[in-house]
Amino acid sequence: MVLCRTSCRALGVLLAAAAVAVAARSAWADEPKPKPENTISIQLGEPVPPQKFSRPVKFWVEAVTDRSGNPQPMLVMKERGGVFLDKQPTAIVKDAIEQSLKAANLLAADAASADLILHIYLFHFGLAAGSGLDFFGKVEFSTMVKNTKLGESQEAKAIGTSIANGAVRKKNIQKNVEEDIEGALHDAIRNFLRGQQLKDAVTALAKEGESAAPAQPAEPAKPPLG
Amino acid sequence: MRIWITAIVAAFLVTAATARPKNDVLYKTAEAKHFTTAEGVELSPAFVDYFYAELRAELTKDKLVSEVIGEGETVDDADAPKSLVISGTITEFKKGSVVKSALIGFGAGFKSLKMDADVVRRSDKQNLCVIHVHVKVDPRWNEKVMAKGAAREMVKEIRKALTEGQKPAA
Repeated sequence: MVLCRTSCRALGVLLAAAAVAVAARSAWADEPKPKPENTISIQLGEPVPPQKFSRPVKFWVEAVTDRSGNPQPMLVMKERGGVFLDKQPTAIVKDAIEQSLKAANLLAADAASADLILHIYLFHFGLAAGSGLDFFGKVEFSTMVKNTKLGESQEAKAIGTSIANGAVRKKNIQKNVEEDIEGALHDAIRNFLRGQQLKDAVTALAKEGESAAPAQPAEPAKPPLG
Repeated sequence: MRIWITAIVAAFLVTAATARPKNDVLYKTAEAKHFTTAEGVELSPAFVDYFYAELRAELTKDKLVSEVIGEGETVDDADAPKSLVISGTITEFKKGSVVKSALIGFGAGFKSLKMDADVVRRSDKQNLCVIHVHVKVDPRWNEKVMAKGAAREMVKEIRKALTEGQKPAA
């Protein structure tokens, strides 16, 4: 009787362990892996024409730092076998900004020759929670605009959103997600390059530069002490 | 042959009758801002973001303006008189009740969202119209679906108000 009870318990434990192992294996199998079939490439497309500034300035994109806190930044969508990006979001944003600045002849050759240095902090890149009927693309970042000569800096925020139709087929899902994120990226870059915050930052830093500049030649005019 | 011609003509007439009237472009640009939430409104910032995106998508779809610009973007001084700025507040949100909706029906227990929007001309900050929107949806639905409905309703109301405002006084 005791032996039967013990064997029943052992059988129960064995069954439970087997169930856990099967569940863990299926969960591992569900974890999407990047493959050429489920990888999309995000391109800016047409460069965004920036706004006109009061004086000519040259920018240099120093770095793009990921502040999204996303452990898998290249995984855009987990469902249906997953959708992956071919590059890190930070690289995509850097390329997009540089491409637009270069097209408008506002990109400096190097950091030393630039008037303003841009350090970008990326908060969100990819899909965000939507209604479930469509895809909601969102790109959000903040930029520290730094005057290299003065060492002063100002912040400019940018957000880009896009809504794309939902889809059922895997191929269409990938196509719509790609279009959606591209739309959001374009929107965010435009929001940054044509934003009032960037204009204000450039104007303020230029003013500070002008007010600081005449003070320097005035110094040698002072008579030496003694 | 006659039957075919008649059928084609009839098809044309039906298409012409059911076709939606072409929406005219009334303004050059429109800037939609993130709506603020009044005190006591329990909605996540994600909802406000989603509503902002939906409002911009609906403005683009409706072709009320030539270009929908993002929040805080600059506009040429020449375009400012033909540019709009849309801002607003979510004044009330009721979560609804699935039990009430199931037991009573007829709209009882529905989720409810009320919002007010101001449409302002960019150049002189003149208030062109004030829009009040009230949307009700089934409590089982995602609240983002409500944002979609509210954005559609808002753009419809803005078009109506601006079209009426542009008509010459009798």
